[in-house]
Amino acid sequence: MTYVLFTLSVMLVMGFVGFSSKPSPIYGGLALVVSGVVGCMIILNYGGAYLGLVMFLIYLGGMMVVFGYTAAMAIEEYPETWGSGFEVLACFLVGLMMEVGLVLWVLDFDEVVVMVGFNDMGNWVVFEGEGSGLVRSDSIGAGALYDYGRWLVVVAGWTLFVGVYVVIEITRGN
Amino acid sequence: MTPIHMNITLAFTISLLGMLIYRSHLMASLLCLEGMMMSLFIMTAIMASNAHFPLINIMPIIMLVFAACEAAVGLALLISISNTYGLDHINNLNLLQC
Repeated sequence: MTYVLFTLSVMLVMGFVGFSSKPSPIYGGLALVVSGVVGCMIILNYGGAYLGLVMFLIYLGGMMVVFGYTAAMAIEEYPETWGSGFEVLACFLVGLMMEVGLVLWVLDFDEVVVMVGFNDMGNWVVFEGEGSGLVRSDSIGAGALYDYGRWLVVVAGWTLFVGVYVVIEITRGN
Repeated sequence: MTPIHMNITLAFTISLLGMLIYRSHLMASLLCLEGMMMSLFIMTAIMASNAHFPLINIMPIIMLVFAACEAAVGLALLISISNTYGLDHINNLNLLQC
Protein backbone atom coordinates (compact mmCIF):
# COMPACT_ATOMS: atom_id res chain seq x y z
CA MET A 1 0.00 0.00 0.00
CA THR A 2 3.01 2.25 0.43
CA TYR A 3 3.81 1.90 -3.22
CA VAL A 4 0.32 2.54 -4.57
CA LEU A 5 1.25 5.98 -5.94
CA PHE A 6 4.36 4.64 -7.65
CA THR A 7 2.35 1.78 -9.18
CA LEU A 8 -0.24 4.24 -10.45
CA SER A 9 2.43 6.43 -12.01
CA VAL A 10 3.96 3.37 -13.71
CA MET A 11 0.53 2.50 -15.10
CA LEU A 12 0.21 6.10 -16.32
CA VAL A 13 3.45 5.75 -18.28
CA MET A 14 2.27 2.45 -19.74
CA GLY A 15 -0.99 4.03 -20.85
CA PHE A 16 0.93 6.89 -22.45
CA VAL A 17 3.15 4.41 -24.30
CA GLY A 18 -0.08 2.77 -25.47
CA PHE A 19 -1.23 5.79 -27.44
CA SER A 20 2.21 7.13 -28.32
CA SER A 21 2.96 3.94 -30.24
CA LYS A 22 0.36 5.29 -32.68
CA PRO A 23 -2.28 2.65 -33.28
CA SER A 24 -5.42 3.77 -35.07
CA PRO A 25 -6.84 6.90 -33.36
CA ILE A 26 -9.84 5.13 -31.91
CA TYR A 27 -7.56 2.82 -29.90
CA GLY A 28 -5.36 5.79 -29.04
CA GLY A 29 -8.42 7.49 -27.59
CA LEU A 30 -9.13 4.40 -25.52
CA ALA A 31 -5.59 4.43 -24.12
CA LEU A 32 -5.93 8.16 -23.39
CA VAL A 33 -9.16 7.57 -21.45
CA VAL A 34 -7.50 4.80 -19.40
CA SER A 35 -4.51 7.08 -18.75
CA GLY A 36 -6.91 9.80 -17.68
CA VAL A 37 -8.55 7.50 -15.16
CA VAL A 38 -5.17 6.53 -13.71
CA GLY A 39 -4.07 10.18 -13.62
CA CYS A 40 -7.26 11.11 -11.78
CA MET A 41 -6.49 8.46 -9.17
CA ILE A 42 -2.99 9.89 -8.75
CA ILE A 43 -4.44 13.36 -8.14
CA LEU A 44 -6.96 11.91 -5.68
CA ASN A 45 -4.20 10.17 -3.73
CA TYR A 46 -2.49 13.53 -3.27
CA GLY A 47 -5.67 14.96 -1.77
CA GLY A 48 -6.98 16.92 -4.73
CA ALA A 49 -10.58 15.82 -4.96
CA TYR A 50 -11.76 18.87 -6.91
CA LEU A 51 -9.05 18.63 -9.53
CA GLY A 52 -9.69 14.91 -9.98
CA LEU A 53 -13.33 15.67 -10.62
CA VAL A 54 -12.39 18.44 -13.06
CA MET A 55 -10.22 15.96 -14.91
CA PHE A 56 -13.01 13.42 -15.23
CA LEU A 57 -15.77 15.81 -16.14
CA ILE A 58 -14.06 18.29 -18.38
CA TYR A 59 -11.12 16.41 -19.79
CA LEU A 60 -12.52 12.89 -20.22
CA GLY A 61 -16.18 13.78 -20.39
CA GLY A 62 -15.81 16.81 -22.63
CA MET A 63 -12.68 16.70 -24.71
CA MET A 64 -12.35 12.95 -25.14
CA VAL A 65 -15.98 12.66 -26.24
CA VAL A 66 -15.31 15.26 -28.93
CA PHE A 67 -12.17 13.38 -29.96
CA GLY A 68 -14.13 10.14 -30.10
CA TYR A 69 -16.78 11.59 -32.38
CA THR A 70 -14.18 13.19 -34.63
CA ALA A 71 -12.24 9.95 -34.81
CA ALA A 72 -15.43 8.18 -35.80
CA MET A 73 -15.82 10.65 -38.66
CA ALA A 74 -12.28 10.50 -39.99
CA ILE A 75 -11.42 6.81 -39.62
CA GLU A 76 -10.79 3.98 -42.04
CA GLU A 77 -12.70 0.76 -42.29
CA TYR A 78 -10.24 -1.59 -40.56
CA PRO A 79 -8.58 0.29 -37.72
CA GLU A 80 -5.11 -0.83 -36.75
CA THR A 81 -4.80 -2.08 -33.20
CA TRP A 82 -1.68 -2.87 -31.19
CA GLY A 83 -1.50 -6.47 -32.30
CA SER A 84 -1.90 -5.95 -36.01
CA GLY A 85 1.31 -4.98 -37.75
CA PHE A 86 4.82 -5.06 -36.44
CA GLU A 87 5.59 -1.37 -35.94
CA VAL A 88 2.94 -0.54 -33.35
CA LEU A 89 3.60 -3.70 -31.37
CA ALA A 90 7.36 -3.13 -31.38
CA CYS A 91 7.02 0.48 -30.18
CA PHE A 92 4.61 -0.58 -27.47
CA LEU A 93 6.82 -3.42 -26.21
CA VAL A 94 9.98 -1.30 -26.26
CA GLY A 95 8.22 1.38 -24.23
CA LEU A 96 6.95 -1.17 -21.71
CA MET A 97 10.39 -2.74 -21.33
CA MET A 98 11.94 0.68 -20.82
CA GLU A 99 9.47 1.37 -18.01
CA VAL A 100 10.08 -2.03 -16.41
CA GLY A 101 13.82 -1.35 -16.46
CA LEU A 102 13.27 2.03 -14.83
CA VAL A 103 11.09 0.47 -12.11
CA LEU A 104 13.80 -2.09 -11.35
CA TRP A 105 16.34 0.74 -11.18
CA VAL A 106 14.21 2.65 -8.66
CA LEU A 107 13.51 -0.43 -6.56
CA ASP A 108 17.18 -1.32 -6.38
CA PHE A 109 18.84 2.03 -5.83
CA ASP A 110 15.97 4.14 -4.39
CA GLU A 111 16.94 7.07 -6.58
CA VAL A 112 17.37 8.09 -10.18
CA VAL A 113 20.02 10.76 -10.62
CA VAL A 114 20.77 11.41 -14.28
CA MET A 115 20.83 15.18 -14.66
CA VAL A 116 17.99 16.00 -12.30
CA GLY A 117 17.89 14.00 -9.11
CA PHE A 118 14.62 12.19 -8.44
CA ASN A 119 15.67 11.12 -4.97
CA ASP A 120 13.56 13.04 -2.49
CA MET A 121 11.93 10.11 -0.78
CA GLY A 122 10.72 12.34 2.03
CA ASN A 123 7.91 13.60 -0.17
CA TRP A 124 6.57 10.10 -0.70
CA VAL A 125 3.78 10.16 1.86
CA VAL A 126 1.42 13.12 1.88
CA PHE A 127 0.80 14.22 5.45
CA GLU A 128 -2.45 15.75 6.59
CA GLY A 129 -1.24 18.95 8.06
CA GLU A 130 -2.66 21.91 9.81
CA GLY A 131 -6.08 23.47 9.61
CA SER A 132 -9.55 22.00 9.54
CA GLY A 133 -10.39 19.36 7.01
CA LEU A 134 -13.63 21.10 6.25
CA VAL A 135 -12.18 23.50 3.69
CA ARG A 136 -10.51 21.62 0.86
CA SER A 137 -7.47 23.48 -0.28
CA ASP A 138 -7.75 22.63 -3.96
CA SER A 139 -11.27 23.92 -4.43
CA ILE A 140 -10.48 27.06 -2.45
CA GLY A 141 -7.38 27.59 -4.57
CA ALA A 142 -9.34 27.18 -7.77
CA GLY A 143 -11.96 29.55 -6.42
CA ALA A 144 -9.26 32.17 -6.01
CA LEU A 145 -9.25 32.29 -9.81
CA TYR A 146 -12.34 34.48 -9.61
CA ASP A 147 -10.82 36.67 -6.91
CA TYR A 148 -7.14 37.33 -7.63
CA GLY A 149 -7.37 36.17 -11.19
CA ARG A 150 -10.29 38.28 -12.39
CA TRP A 151 -8.49 39.48 -15.48
CA LEU A 152 -7.33 35.97 -16.28
CA VAL A 153 -10.95 34.81 -16.27
CA VAL A 154 -11.85 37.61 -18.69
CA VAL A 155 -8.94 36.74 -21.01
CA ALA A 156 -9.67 33.00 -20.94
CA GLY A 157 -13.38 33.57 -21.55
CA TRP A 158 -12.64 35.86 -24.49
CA THR A 159 -10.18 33.31 -25.85
CA LEU A 160 -12.83 30.61 -25.79
CA PHE A 161 -15.34 32.91 -27.44
CA VAL A 162 -12.96 33.87 -30.25
CA GLY A 163 -11.94 30.19 -30.53
CA VAL A 164 -15.51 29.30 -31.46
CA TYR A 165 -15.39 31.81 -34.31
CA VAL A 166 -11.99 30.49 -35.42
CA VAL A 167 -13.40 26.94 -35.57
CA ILE A 168 -16.42 28.11 -37.56
CA GLU A 169 -14.22 29.93 -40.06
CA ILE A 170 -11.92 26.92 -40.49
CA THR A 171 -14.67 24.40 -41.02
CA ARG A 172 -16.54 26.68 -43.39
CA GLY A 173 -13.80 26.05 -45.95
CA ASN A 174 -14.28 28.17 -49.00
CA MET B 1 11.48 15.20 -6.71
CA THR B 2 10.25 11.70 -6.16
CA PRO B 3 10.15 8.86 -8.69
CA ILE B 4 6.48 9.68 -9.12
CA HIS B 5 7.47 13.04 -10.65
CA MET B 6 10.00 11.17 -12.77
CA ASN B 7 7.25 8.95 -14.17
CA ILE B 8 5.01 11.89 -14.98
CA THR B 9 7.87 13.75 -16.68
CA LEU B 10 8.63 10.57 -18.60
CA ALA B 11 4.98 10.38 -19.68
CA PHE B 12 5.25 13.95 -21.02
CA THR B 13 8.43 13.09 -22.93
CA ILE B 14 6.88 9.95 -24.43
CA SER B 15 3.85 11.94 -25.62
CA LEU B 16 6.14 14.61 -27.06
CA LEU B 17 8.01 11.96 -29.05
CA GLY B 18 4.71 10.47 -30.17
CA MET B 19 3.51 13.84 -31.39
CA LEU B 20 6.65 14.62 -33.36
CA ILE B 21 6.99 11.24 -35.09
CA TYR B 22 4.39 10.80 -37.78
CA ARG B 23 2.95 7.52 -38.91
CA SER B 24 -0.19 7.73 -41.03
CA HIS B 25 -2.90 9.60 -39.14
CA LEU B 26 -2.92 13.25 -38.15
CA MET B 27 -5.42 12.46 -35.38
CA ALA B 28 -2.85 10.33 -33.55
CA SER B 29 -0.56 13.38 -33.23
CA LEU B 30 -3.47 15.41 -31.85
CA LEU B 31 -4.08 12.68 -29.28
CA CYS B 32 -0.43 12.82 -28.23
CA LEU B 33 -0.80 16.61 -27.84
CA GLU B 34 -3.72 15.97 -25.51
CA GLY B 35 -1.59 13.49 -23.61
CA MET B 36 1.06 16.16 -23.11
CA MET B 37 -1.53 18.54 -21.70
CA MET B 38 -2.86 15.84 -19.39
CA SER B 39 0.57 15.04 -17.99
CA LEU B 40 1.18 18.76 -17.35
CA PHE B 41 -2.21 18.98 -15.60
CA ILE B 42 -1.34 16.06 -13.34
CA MET B 43 2.10 17.45 -12.57
CA THR B 44 0.87 20.92 -11.59
CA ALA B 45 -2.05 19.47 -9.59
CA ILE B 46 0.15 17.22 -7.49
CA MET B 47 2.72 19.97 -6.99
CA ALA B 48 -0.03 22.23 -5.68
CA SER B 49 -1.21 19.61 -3.20
CA ASN B 50 2.30 18.58 -2.22
CA ALA B 51 3.51 22.09 -1.43
CA HIS B 52 0.28 22.94 0.46
CA PHE B 53 0.06 26.12 -1.60
CA PRO B 54 -3.53 26.32 -2.83
CA LEU B 55 -3.05 29.25 -5.21
CA ILE B 56 -1.10 27.05 -7.65
CA ASN B 57 -4.41 25.25 -8.31
CA ILE B 58 -5.34 28.09 -10.68
CA MET B 59 -2.69 26.90 -13.12
CA PRO B 60 -4.09 23.42 -14.04
CA ILE B 61 -7.53 24.87 -14.65
CA ILE B 62 -6.26 27.66 -16.92
CA MET B 63 -4.07 25.15 -18.75
CA LEU B 64 -7.14 22.99 -19.33
CA VAL B 65 -9.00 25.98 -20.79
CA PHE B 66 -6.28 26.70 -23.32
CA ALA B 67 -5.82 22.99 -24.07
CA ALA B 68 -9.50 22.83 -24.95
CA CYS B 69 -9.05 25.79 -27.31
CA GLU B 70 -6.10 24.21 -29.08
CA ALA B 71 -7.83 20.84 -29.31
CA ALA B 72 -10.83 22.52 -30.92
CA VAL B 73 -8.70 24.31 -33.50
CA GLY B 74 -6.70 21.13 -34.22
CA LEU B 75 -9.87 19.12 -34.70
CA ALA B 76 -11.34 21.80 -36.97
CA LEU B 77 -8.25 21.58 -39.19
CA LEU B 78 -8.51 17.80 -39.20
CA ILE B 79 -12.17 17.97 -40.20
CA SER B 80 -11.44 20.34 -43.07
CA ILE B 81 -8.67 17.99 -44.26
CA SER B 82 -11.02 15.04 -43.93
CA ASN B 83 -13.68 16.87 -45.93
CA THR B 84 -11.25 17.35 -48.80
CA TYR B 85 -9.50 13.98 -48.87
CA GLY B 86 -11.85 11.59 -47.10
CA LEU B 87 -9.25 10.45 -44.52
CA ASP B 88 -6.69 12.30 -42.44
CA HIS B 89 -3.63 10.55 -43.80
CA ILE B 90 -0.53 12.70 -43.60
CA ASN B 91 0.82 11.72 -46.98
CA ASN B 92 -2.16 13.51 -48.51
CA LEU B 93 -0.88 16.82 -47.18
CA ASN B 94 1.48 17.78 -49.97
CA LEU B 95 -0.23 20.87 -51.39
CA LEU B 96 0.06 23.27 -48.42
CA GLN B 97 -3.66 23.81 -48.80
CA CYS B 98 -6.59 22.30 -46.95
